[in-house]
Amino acid sequence: MSANENARVAPLVGQHVQRGEDLRFATGQGRFVADHVSTTTLHAVFLRATQAAGQIRSIDTLAARDCPGVLAVLTGTDLAGTLAPIGALHEPNEAFVDAFSFQMADIAIPCLVTDRVHYVGEPVAVVVAESRAMAEDAAELIDVDYTPGTAVTTPQAALEPAAPRVHEHLPDNIAASLRGGFGDVPAASKGAAHRVTGRFRMGRHSGVPLECRGVVASWDPARGRVDVRTSTQVPHFVRTAICASTGWSVSEVHVSTPDVGGGFGPKANVYAEEVVIAYLARLLGREVAWLEDRAEHFVASAQGRDQHLDAELAVDSTGHIVSWSVEFLADVGAGSLWVAGITANTALHSVGAYRVPHFQVVGTAVYTNKTIVAQYRGAGRPEACFALERCLDMAAEAAGISRLEIRERNLLRAEELPKRLPLPYRDGVPITYDGADFRRCLRACEQRLPDDLLDTLRARYPGMYLGSGVATYVEATGRGPYESATVRLLADGTFEVGVGSACAGQSHETTFAQIAADALGVPMSAVRVRTGDTDAVADGIGSFASRSAVVGGSAVHRVCSQLRARARELVARCLGIEQDSEHEPTWSEVGRLLAPGGELAEQAPLSVTGTFEPPTVTWTMGAHLAVVGVAPETGIARVLHYVVAHEGGVEINPTVVLGQIRGGVAQGIGGILLEEFDYADDGQPATATFAEYLLPGSCDVPPVDVVHLPGPAQLNPIGVKGVGESGTIAVYAAVASAIEDALSCPAGTLTSTPVLPSTMLDIAESSVDASV
Amino acid sequence: MSDIVVDLEVNGVRYERTVPARLSLADFLRDSLGLTGTHLGCEHGVCGSCTVLVDGRSARSCLLLAAQVSGATVRTVEGLAESDGSPGTVQSALARHGGIQCGFCTPGFVVALTELVAEGKELDEEEIREALSGNICRCTGYHGAIAAAVELTGPDPGCAGCDQECGS
Repeated sequence: MSANENARVAPLVGQHVQRGEDLRFATGQGRFVADHVSTTTLHAVFLRATQAAGQIRSIDTLAARDCPGVLAVLTGTDLAGTLAPIGALHEPNEAFVDAFSFQMADIAIPCLVTDRVHYVGEPVAVVVAESRAMAEDAAELIDVDYTPGTAVTTPQAALEPAAPRVHEHLPDNIAASLRGGFGDVPAASKGAAHRVTGRFRMGRHSGVPLECRGVVASWDPARGRVDVRTSTQVPHFVRTAICASTGWSVSEVHVSTPDVGGGFGPKANVYAEEVVIAYLARLLGREVAWLEDRAEHFVASAQGRDQHLDAELAVDSTGHIVSWSVEFLADVGAGSLWVAGITANTALHSVGAYRVPHFQVVGTAVYTNKTIVAQYRGAGRPEACFALERCLDMAAEAAGISRLEIRERNLLRAEELPKRLPLPYRDGVPITYDGADFRRCLRACEQRLPDDLLDTLRARYPGMYLGSGVATYVEATGRGPYESATVRLLADGTFEVGVGSACAGQSHETTFAQIAADALGVPMSAVRVRTGDTDAVADGIGSFASRSAVVGGSAVHRVCSQLRARARELVARCLGIEQDSEHEPTWSEVGRLLAPGGELAEQAPLSVTGTFEPPTVTWTMGAHLAVVGVAPETGIARVLHYVVAHEGGVEINPTVVLGQIRGGVAQGIGGILLEEFDYADDGQPATATFAEYLLPGSCDVPPVDVVHLPGPAQLNPIGVKGVGESGTIAVYAAVASAIEDALSCPAGTLTSTPVLPSTMLDIAESSVDASV
Repeated sequence: MSDIVVDLEVNGVRYERTVPARLSLADFLRDSLGLTGTHLGCEHGVCGSCTVLVDGRSARSCLLLAAQVSGATVRTVEGLAESDGSPGTVQSALARHGGIQCGFCTPGFVVALTELVAEGKELDEEEIREALSGNICRCTGYHGAIAAAVELTGPDPGCAGCDQECGS
């Protein structure tokens, strides 16, 4: 519209715009799921399996039903035939399936188990009462009689021919398998100058958002539908799952997200609790809430990682990669609705940022009697990165060159990019690394580690052994199939924008408003963004896989650009006023003209809904550099300095990008040094509080220096690449390398995560012994 | 279940309520008073999201019973904004330095930082990290919270070295 009260020339995309969300969060006005509970809300509590494997002989709920304030006690038997199990959330494209001989078991996760339990924490019964305390008291009185079975808790044990089956209806414990590659690894590796092998394990850990999960559902008799508020990254998937399980139609289910206190993948999943609470709200005609507590979260929310990788890297005498092969086992616990995505991610990111002539990957996802698994920030990529980067360190040592030099020699150069790999991505499109120059990220990292910084750190931490390490990563971001957005002009000249990508802390209200305001030519104050609501847009995918800025942002850009063009066309056609004319009306004038009684009231309202479907993923690449100090007397490692240099696209809001990367690094540090869900051999979880499962605190995360190197991003109209997982993927390998450097131990000494103080202490002591 | 009368001041308002003896201070603030800014992240005293000021000192409201603070003065995140509802000094600094993402841990950080600032000590970065180590943030990597604390406790208010271009 014209130069008027709404006109604005300088683009908002690219600016450090302060977040619109912060006012409410800083002042305690955020409204998270637990804040939507009222005094009349009923509370549900789930009774969970206490055995990792076994049969339920009987469940006695009589005493629980008799408790004061209890409205309902339901078991799996009560719900059998009413609520169907939840099915897989992702199935790869046929071209991928063919290229990787991909196979997947038929898995469905029951809402409440009927006769057999598969992990400690699995929902067995649900109690609804007037208060949570009453529901908990009643749940304690339910008597479940188990015939204990034999639990399998490692994928190796689960693959033994005589292993007990986690799922009785399946022939074995294989959840998914794939095999693929290019070239001829056995032939090529035979003549290589150096062959290094490693057996790696990445421990089981996960997003552990500070806000646990929660669902508040109510029945709306006027509209004939269930309103479900849930702390999720994927409200549209939740709606689909509720409909599939209950048989209700889409119009009978409305799902929305309140403010979501962190997601990181575990909330990009659909859970039995979401289905059961929606069902109970309708059954009882009352508002019903279930608020997961932390003890529950440790057994009931999806976990991640937990992979074992056997790898062999062959290099020539100058350290150039000859061949690379990986065989991995992904322990998906009692099941994963994302098994295809996780196993495919490890396979597809195994080649890394390097020139690899011959490549082979074999992957098997395996059921065990442990908590279910979903994506966790990186979702299979950190595992692939860890194996490759650890082997590169070993190969550098074998070839007698530095760890930097071996990467410098093998990273894809500017003239080799974009690089097409002879493998299809999960969407079936051949992989193309659409990068600019991978070596510049490594060099940028090197430049951020001047010698005097190490001297400064040595002086500051005199008792510590210091070392540095590097690692690089690639990441496919912005996956489809689509995201949808909608925009409409309101009568006061402001706009409401709806997007399918739900927000769990990624600043969507701000960044989508920046994109919308630019496309509409208005200030941000004229744009309200609504995400995470199936009423806002009819269809949507959600926020995960570093996709929202790319795909959701592009959808916002598209609909807003179309709305602006449509407005101009309307004004020209009906009012005879050309674009940029001084008579061009303001948006608020257009709003009034379109309102009832206005000159344009007969015209269709200005509203556009559309989708953006990316042709395929857009790849990012980056290098990480860690400086770590290890205290020899305690074996405690502390990351003292960190650099991330990455090749990204346009930064919608550089402050948000920095936050994503720094937060990602913090989670990686947790994964390599602190975090693990531990299980006893009988499947009993050994990590039940934050005293056993350690999260990185303010003393564990160093300042993170970020170098943003713009790369080409031509697959979307706003030139954006995803960044949500860039901070996490390479941390494990970079920190492990730095610890080995600090302890002066051979490359490849550290093979599993988390790297515990006891391990470092042993290494420190043995290297002292060796030097005596 | 026995009930107990509590009489306390929260954010400048005096409340006298009869509550179950087993009611935690956090549940009292959230459910009885509707002050939902105090968040429950772990309910076992580790994460710091539920931190409030009890007679000026930070305390885990999940580990206290409402009955224990009868007679005390409590301030929550809602009580640390300006009287017109606009953000207070600590709240603004946290936002300006990119210290907020999902917002769930934020109330705990606001309270912890408020206590830190009130102590009036000049702290270096290491001391600030130590002082904030009772609050867990899962999103930000602590950069913004530490930058805010440097600004608020430093000799020279401002944000030298901050790369958020926060304009202060």
